Amino acid sequence: MALYLGLGTIFGLILSRSGAADYNYIQGMFLLNEFQLYGIIGTAVALTAPGLWLLKRHGKTLSGRPLSIELKPGHRGNIVGGALFGVGWSITGMCPGPILVNIGEGKLYAIAALAGVLLGAGAFGSLYPRLQGPFRLPALQIGTGEG
Amino acid sequence: MDLILTGSPPIHWALAGAGIGLITLTLLFVGNRRLGVSTGFENICALVVHTPYFTRKSVTGSHSWRLPLLAGLLFGGVLSAILAGGWETTWGLGRFDAQIGWNNGGKVLWMFGGGLLIGFGTRLAGGCTSGHGIFGMSNLELPSIVSTVSFMVAGIVTTNLIYRVIL
Repeated sequence: MALYLGLGTIFGLILSRSGAADYNYIQGMFLLNEFQLYGIIGTAVALTAPGLWLLKRHGKTLSGRPLSIELKPGHRGNIVGGALFGVGWSITGMCPGPILVNIGEGKLYAIAALAGVLLGAGAFGSLYPRLQGPFRLPALQIGTGEG
Repeated sequence: MDLILTGSPPIHWALAGAGIGLITLTLLFVGNRRLGVSTGFENICALVVHTPYFTRKSVTGSHSWRLPLLAGLLFGGVLSAILAGGWETTWGLGRFDAQIGWNNGGKVLWMFGGGLLIGFGTRLAGGCTSGHGIFGMSNLELPSIVSTVSFMVAGIVTTNLIYRVIL
């Protein structure tokens, strides 16, 4: 538990001080005016991709357990859900991690965003059986993908 | 451009990106966990909603790591504000204040509406910027590449509509 709390805290500090949790930088990214966020995501992927390849080749965690990476399923929800999320990201200037970071920073409007997120996620889960057909979603036990 | 929180420029993008990459790899190598934030919202929902979707094992079985990760994100924000010279509450929203200028009540509605789309959308897509954009793209997973292109295009269209077409 300390590991996750610690990693989350460092992640939060980085998001807070990099512009990833800043309304102006998110709008700058979507207006294609600011390189900052593209640089962040690009660098993270450029480092994580070869790191993942090496870890998968190694095949074990630090404690020697077999490495398990659950792949996300593909379905129509990727495009439609992604689009809904993109609109929400633009409106609020926050993606999921930064919503929590912004609340921590003392930005009061972010609490309203979190309330909306929890209601939206709750509605999604409760409507899952009805969304399964139209969006070709996997069985309920599998879900749309974790992450 | 200065950050709203600190009134000073952000850290270099390469430093931030490298830090996030290291966090992602540490989470996998030490914890055997796949980075992802939005699933954690299901864990919060599962604390109060007990429909079949929220009582499945993949949700209830991940409370022990997803909830601390989310708490850490919140705490990281608190720490950042303290280190910036003191924690205080604010309604400051930068460009939104300058160009849209709604009062606090309007901001609450705006943020709540955007939040609904984020909560529903990320769960329908099966991930967000971290799970699809960073982990999934790094792992060359097609659903993640499709989702990332989808949310980036939708964000670009929406912000351009708001700040270049409407305003």
